[in-house]
Amino acid sequence: MDDAANSGISEPLDLVKLSLGERVFIKLRGDRTVTGVLHAYDAHMNVVLSQVEETIHLVDVTEDGNPLPPRVERRNVEMLFVRGDGVILISPTQQ
Amino acid sequence: MSGFFGFDTSLPGRGAAGQGQGRNQQQNTSGFPASAADDAFALGGAGEEEDLAVYTWGEGMGGGLMEGGDEMNDETFGDDLGAVSNNFQFSAQTAAQPSKGYGHGQTTGKIASTQSRYKPKAAYDPFAFSEDDFYSSRPSKKTTTTKAPARPKPNTAHSGSVETSWNNKPAVSSPAWGTAPSSMTKPTPPPSASFPSQSQAPPAPGHIKSLEEIEAEMAQMAIPSTSSAPPTQQKVFSLEEIEKQMMEQNVEPARQATPQQPLPPREATPTQVPGLAASGYSSQQALLDSMFPELGKAAQPLPQGGSGQGTPSFAPDQAGPPQPPRPSPEELARMEELHKRITAKIESMAKYNNLMGSSDKDFITRIQLSQLATADPYTSDFYAQVFSALKRSRMMAEGQGENPTVVQLSAGLGLGVGGPVGNRFGKMGQNTMTKLSTQVKKLVENRAQHQKVANTAALQGALGRVTRGNAAAPRPVLAIPTSNKPENRPASHLNEQTGIHRAALTKKQIMFALEELYDAILELEQMRRDAPPPTAMEEIEVWHSRCQSKVDNIWRRLMVMEPLDISNPHPFISLINPVKGQKLFPRLLRHLPQNQTITLLSLLIATYTQLDVVARAPPPPVADSSLLTRADRLDRAKREVETDNFLQFVIPGVDMIINRCGLGLVAGVLAISAQRSEVWRVASTRPGVALYTALLSKAQSVIRAPVPDPMNPQQNQQVDPAELDQWSKTFTYFLHVLLPHLPDLFPSSLAQKAAFGPGAYLLGGDNPLAEREGLEMEKREAEVWGFVAVLAVNAQEEDQTALVGALREKILHTVQAARHPSTSKERAEMKLRNVNMFLNGLGLDASMIE
Repeated sequence: MDDAANSGISEPLDLVKLSLGERVFIKLRGDRTVTGVLHAYDAHMNVVLSQVEETIHLVDVTEDGNPLPPRVERRNVEMLFVRGDGVILISPTQQ
Repeated sequence: MSGFFGFDTSLPGRGAAGQGQGRNQQQNTSGFPASAADDAFALGGAGEEEDLAVYTWGEGMGGGLMEGGDEMNDETFGDDLGAVSNNFQFSAQTAAQPSKGYGHGQTTGKIASTQSRYKPKAAYDPFAFSEDDFYSSRPSKKTTTTKAPARPKPNTAHSGSVETSWNNKPAVSSPAWGTAPSSMTKPTPPPSASFPSQSQAPPAPGHIKSLEEIEAEMAQMAIPSTSSAPPTQQKVFSLEEIEKQMMEQNVEPARQATPQQPLPPREATPTQVPGLAASGYSSQQALLDSMFPELGKAAQPLPQGGSGQGTPSFAPDQAGPPQPPRPSPEELARMEELHKRITAKIESMAKYNNLMGSSDKDFITRIQLSQLATADPYTSDFYAQVFSALKRSRMMAEGQGENPTVVQLSAGLGLGVGGPVGNRFGKMGQNTMTKLSTQVKKLVENRAQHQKVANTAALQGALGRVTRGNAAAPRPVLAIPTSNKPENRPASHLNEQTGIHRAALTKKQIMFALEELYDAILELEQMRRDAPPPTAMEEIEVWHSRCQSKVDNIWRRLMVMEPLDISNPHPFISLINPVKGQKLFPRLLRHLPQNQTITLLSLLIATYTQLDVVARAPPPPVADSSLLTRADRLDRAKREVETDNFLQFVIPGVDMIINRCGLGLVAGVLAISAQRSEVWRVASTRPGVALYTALLSKAQSVIRAPVPDPMNPQQNQQVDPAELDQWSKTFTYFLHVLLPHLPDLFPSSLAQKAAFGPGAYLLGGDNPLAEREGLEMEKREAEVWGFVAVLAVNAQEEDQTALVGALREKILHTVQAARHPSTSKERAEMKLRNVNMFLNGLGLDASMIE
């Protein structure tokens, strides 16, 4: 049965299409991740998301160069355009 | 034809015309004058060689090409011509052949990109579809315009050429683009002593100076000019010029305040290379216009200001009657400063002028256009189209005309030009669009032709190799979709498993099916928009049948006709479980015929319990959400969102279908629901409440039929007694199943039941933070009160008593809570309103309760 579904999928981005309107998890360069509802994407993986939660993983360094334990910063954005060159992966959120 | 580096010495015209050739190369290290001179020579012999198409442009370039030779600009512009001029006799040459300025304009570029740089630009194939093609496909042919009249009057020199339509037509409307308006061509030298050239080259009496001449004089103040310096500024507008123009608009006041300043070079008349294909230029123009629609208009008042009478009047663009105050000296100084800076900037940029020949620009324009052309202009430009449609409907009301928003280029291709500005192509309008579309059309045809020859080209690069293309398979500039994606499967292929039971659709299958449905719906909607004119009968028929087949296709994909018990959840329910599917629902209903919508409704009601929003309805709220874990909170929030979406997208559609049903049908679906599901369980969810409320109120309105609708005579019929009987039976059964659970339908009761531990004490407490949640709760309660109200209205007398009996506790509790002093006024009002909704249906009122 999956063959039927697969027949309409000819390129990787066709899989992203299946997630349109759904909540997706996107990993970005710079130790960031975002989750949000996917509204649009293009061939460059530019993405428009709504109800976004952005998570930034930070490692602070003390003055003498020792890393502090990593911390996480979060912020919420209502609508977000993500430029495609920062996108590492897109996946549907696990439920 | 001579090669790029042009070491071809056997050219016949060369010896005759080019006596100064060798010296040229020695004395001019810069490529400019050399090539300019070459040009002159070559053109001098052009008459005889016309058929041979021999060009010697590149001759001087071999040793003379300098990348950064800005320091030679003076020489280029003839600054110290005195030192060099003895051998050249530029004056004689140029005086004899002033019109070769056209050639100069092209050769001023220093960087040779391809051979074609040094060829007359008319030589390319304007519809080539690969770069190589573009430059090489046609044999060069000298244009006869090189033998233009000797007098440097570009206005008349052009008048026969095709560009005149561009240059002359908008003479009033957009002088910045076309020929200078008459006010500019008059010899109004700026009153300044700093222009020695003025006195040195007195124009013949009656001779109207061309703009180029004025231009040249002003630009080269120090030149002991002879007749006219090489008019290097004649050319099609380049990007820099446009930029300049834009900048100048910003500093226009400054410029007007200081008319002594030499006119910046951008005022040059954009003289065309006469041989240039008009269409190429026009498409460029169109593009520019569309990019800077305000330019054409805004530049319009500029010339008047520029040719001002030498008084620093500082008049505004629309020199209106009220004279604005004169600027203060500081202001003037500041503006002058600003203007100087900008002039300097423009000059520094000017060295990049004309790097691209007009054919290069044309080529790029064409590439850009071909990128814009799509097989489905309406959908690729969808949002702009819809927006402009809205905008136009508004403008229609104001009595403005209609512009097409899609330009059809050929059978399968078009450009969407809908946009926020109603007339995106400026004054050029239709004219431009037709020219433009013919161009792209030819491009497309050319491409299609080549595709026949080498249709492997489409696959080229598929494996990742970057190719530049070869003769057999040139790199495509324009990718025309060769085939549409086939309907890849019969609609229920997803369900081709036979057998009564099978697994529910997987998430991926659901998503895939939904995307297909969306595509189909979009196509159908597009098809409906493309309705043929009502006069063409056959076309309408064809169109109808096409729409119908599309609808059938969608219907099959909805999988509504699958057996009821085929899977849990039913495939159709799977489809409308995700928000995406819910949003699709109202759009689907618009296209489905009534009998299908009713089938849909029956299926939906029969499998209502399988809906996510019913099966996994959000749990009753807790008093204090801080008691929940984060995951729990998220899960609740998600379910709430799903429910809200369902109520927002699906329920209105369901309402609509129900409203079209007769009493018999309503009774039927209610019976189905009562048989197939635990009614009270469904009714304890918000979608369930909404569904039953809709069904019952429709039934009630049919039974009472209070106002006969004159518009709808069929509905005036008396209700069929059999149907009425069936309805009352069904309803009684329904009510009796529901009655024992009635108090539990209320979210407040559910919340109280679910609460335990500290939550139980907090519920209903007068925590101010809970006030908002409390109000929300009252709104939810209102839905249920509305539902019991329609129950009451539908119920027989004895059932009404039972109903009140079942709800007595709830009513009393609510009324008491409303009268409790700790209840906020707002909430108390809502509570009373809720209770009254029910009581009023029975002819009672909350105020009667002690």
